[in-house]
Parts: sequence; C-alpha cells; structure tokens
Amino acid sequence: MSAISLTGTLDPNFGWGDDRLHLSPDCRAAVPSGLRGAYACASIGAASVRLVRDPLGLNKLFWAPGRDGGIRVAARPWRLVEAGCAFEEIQAVPCGVVADIDLTGNGQVVTSLDAPRRRPGPDGESGAVEAIARRLRATLDQYCAALAASHPRSRAFVCLSGGLDSTGVLMLAIEHFRDVVAVSFDLLRDHGPPSADRQTAQRLARDFKLPLLEVTPTGDELLDGLDAVLKDGIDWRDFNVHAGLVNHALGRAIASARTAGACLVLTGDLPNEFLVDYHAEELNGRTYYALPKLPTPALQTVLVRGLDTSHREVGPFQAWGLPAVQVYAPAVDRYLELPDSLLADPRRKDNLCRHLFGERIPEYVYTRPKTRAQVGDVEVGRGVLGLCLDRGIDAAALRSRFAELHRLSDASALDRFIRAGRYRAAVPGMSRVP
Amino acid sequence: MKAHVHFEDLMTAVEVAERVEHFVRTQFRVAPSDSRFSRSQRLFDMGYVDSVGVVELLAFLSKEFQVHLPDEAIMADEFSTIDGIATIVVRLRNNK
Repeated sequence: MSAISLTGTLDPNFGWGDDRLHLSPDCRAAVPSGLRGAYACASIGAASVRLVRDPLGLNKLFWAPGRDGGIRVAARPWRLVEAGCAFEEIQAVPCGVVADIDLTGNGQVVTSLDAPRRRPGPDGESGAVEAIARRLRATLDQYCAALAASHPRSRAFVCLSGGLDSTGVLMLAIEHFRDVVAVSFDLLRDHGPPSADRQTAQRLARDFKLPLLEVTPTGDELLDGLDAVLKDGIDWRDFNVHAGLVNHALGRAIASARTAGACLVLTGDLPNEFLVDYHAEELNGRTYYALPKLPTPALQTVLVRGLDTSHREVGPFQAWGLPAVQVYAPAVDRYLELPDSLLADPRRKDNLCRHLFGERIPEYVYTRPKTRAQVGDVEVGRGVLGLCLDRGIDAAALRSRFAELHRLSDASALDRFIRAGRYRAAVPGMSRVP
Repeated sequence: MKAHVHFEDLMTAVEVAERVEHFVRTQFRVAPSDSRFSRSQRLFDMGYVDSVGVVELLAFLSKEFQVHLPDEAIMADEFSTIDGIATIVVRLRNNK
C-alpha cells in the first residue's frame, strides 16, 4: 500500500455515541458502532492508517492518488485537485466505515458502523409518538448539554429562520448555553417589508430577550460567495447551492461579529430530511427543487441516504473558520422510528414539535404560514432562487462552474461523482466493484 | 458504450432491458421519434435521467426485479446504459 498523507485540515468532529461526544480528530481509540453526528477522521501513522466516516456521511472525507504515487486524503475535493490530483480519480471514504489500512502490505480491515435504518413503530398505538418524542428530546438535551460543557466559553450562534426546526434549536441553546445570539438572514429589498422569516426572528429575539444578528446582503454580496459555496459545499445541485449561499452569508456576518472568543454555529437542518418536509417550487412556469416521485416512507429513506452528499450546512461556515453543529443529527434513529401514519400527516412536523417543545415554542411559530424553500417568504420569486435565475445562474451554470473550479473539462464526469445521493466511494486500496 | 452481456444471461438481460427501456421512456418522457435514444446510450451524460430520476429508476429496479443495488453497482460505469443496468440486475439476481 502506498503512503497516505493528509492535505489541509479536516472539519471539526461533533460525533455522538455511547452517550458521549466524540470530538477528537484522532480516531485511533475505539469508535462506537452506534456513532452518530458529524465525524470524519484520518489518523495516519508510520505503519498504518485509520480512516473513519460517520454513518450518515455528514462529515466529508475524500482521497485520490497523488502525483508522487502516494494517496492524498482531504476534506474537500478542491484541495486534492489543487494538490495535483485528477478529479476523475477522487473518491469519498464510504460513510459508516472504519478502515484500518496496513501500510506494510498486510491489507485492509474494514468495519461497518451501524447504519440508521427505518424501523417504524406500530401505527395507531396510543402514545407511540409521544414516547418517541420523549426519547428524541432526551437525546437532543444530552447532546446539547455535552456540547455546552465541552465548549464552556463558546458563544452559540443559532441560525434562526423562525421555522419550527430552527426555533427548536434556539430553545435548546437557551436551555444549555450561557451566551446565545440568534442570526437571521434576509435578502436586501428595494421596497416592501422584511421577509416573513426575518419578522419572526425579530419577534422571537424580542420575546426571549436575545441579541439578533441581522444579515441582509445585497444580491451581489450574496453571490460573491458562489465559488466558495461550490467548493466547500461540495455540490452543484441548485437547491443545495442556494442553501449554501445563505449559510455562507451568515458565516461571513458571524465571522465579522465574533470577538476573539470561541463560538459554535448551531443549525436546525436535518429534520426536513428526517420528516420529508420538502416541496418542489414553481417559478415562471417551471418546477425547481423537484423530488423523486416516491411514497413518503421511501422518500425518507432516500433523503436520509442522500445526506452523504453535499456539505451545504457545514462547508460554507467552515470556509470562514466557523465550526457548525447540526444539532438534530444524533437523534436520527428516533426520527426513523416514527410510524407511517405520522409521516403521512401533512402536519407531522407541527405535531412532533409540539411533543418535543410544547408551549416553549410560541404559538405564532406553530401557526405561521410555511415559507418557501431557500426563500424565507411566502413568495418564491423574492428569494435566492429568484435572484440566481434573474442573474442567469441556473442549474446548468452551477454545474459548469463546479466543473471549472475542479479543473474538469467535461462536466459529464460529475454524473459519476454524485449519483443517487451518494459520492463515488471506496476505501483506498480496495476495488470499488465487488 | 455497449455493455458486455454473458450468453447464459442473454434472454433474461434482454427481457430486463425491455422493461427498463419502457420505464425510462415513459417516466422520463423520451420522445418516440428520438433517434439518439437506445439501450446503449448513456442515460445520465445525455440528460435522459437526472439526479432525481436516478432515484426513481432505482426504486423501479428494486420493486420490479426484487434486487438491492449496492452503491458500487450504481456508481459503476456499466450502470450508465440500459443494457448495462440490465446486466447488473441479472448478475445480482443470479447471485441472490
């Protein structure tokens, strides 16, 4: 086996397993089989290497043959490309594996971690959802308490859209962190009131007496981050890039606002995948953000599986040196226990959040109209999607720019990099096709 | 690219390919007059199946042929054409 080296730094770990945090970038100690949360590491020794990636694939880890004949490992494909690797040869470390690679020629030992699987509870059983919600909330509390204890001097910046998921994170942050700042995004508008998201965030900040960092970029300022989002978000698909642009703008503002002290960025993403709370958007007679036409439980499996790809929620913050934590990640197994009847309920998120947070979340958050994806408002044309289309930055342009940034002359090679929600993946030294 | 089809799998692979072709033509609205489209045409590069469509295609293969396609098979170059997909499906069915 060739020598293996790390190119650049890896993203911080926020793993959770055996009821404790796994933050260390060194994974030579035992890795719990039930590892959850974002975790990827490469522990490189003289005679052996251990590569680990969490079962959801939240943290990213890639590798490729280097020019010197060795293997290079990095958290971003662009770092490998800049180090001279060919994009077509880049592969992800598969999610949910611990790969022990012997550099003296004795092969590899690959251990699979427990993958989250849908195990729905029985339908119609009285109290079933409440019981799952209790366990789910307990996991969230344990995780947040451990995060706060391990980062006692960190300011918690909560990305607050004012929807149920981010407001839930705000409630958890208030409960567990001493220093909480809410952060709200809105696109600068020539006229009209602020977005519905901004207005709700302002009201929540007032009601909970929290400082609110208002991030209101112009369209130009937002799109300044496009290359960084494509590179650090590791994706070119429009929905994810649009979300990444918002996060990149939030990250820029947080990086400017933070003082010398440490901070954590807390995000409320993931329940949309766990609860299949996504919808296509119609704009100017075209459909955007289309979803596969599948029954809801099957779509849940697809969306959870697809978390392997895209780094839209962490990469754009990490581009500013900000550690971002996906607070709901450790609770994935509880979400996958929810019965089919709940998944079929159009008000499933409202229903579950009432069990999780009850009246702690104000009623106006439960009853506010659903805002459109990546828009922050009820009108789809006013958000990031409309802005990008106005500037001619459509799906084809994003794909082409991603290819260019990764020195690919033929963008069709991208179809063999992400397919069906997975990155092309293998363990170094092992054949991809069994 | 023409996928290699083993003789012993030939009938079954052709049968699988027929059903996959029907699904792709119907689900992704391939015009009957489209002369570029064939079972050896690359589905993804040529834009017949996009990132959402591939998930629907996988769901169809799983339900129709009772096979689970591992990530390695989905990422294989062979998975790019209808003939190649049929070969993979037959191989997986034979290895069950």
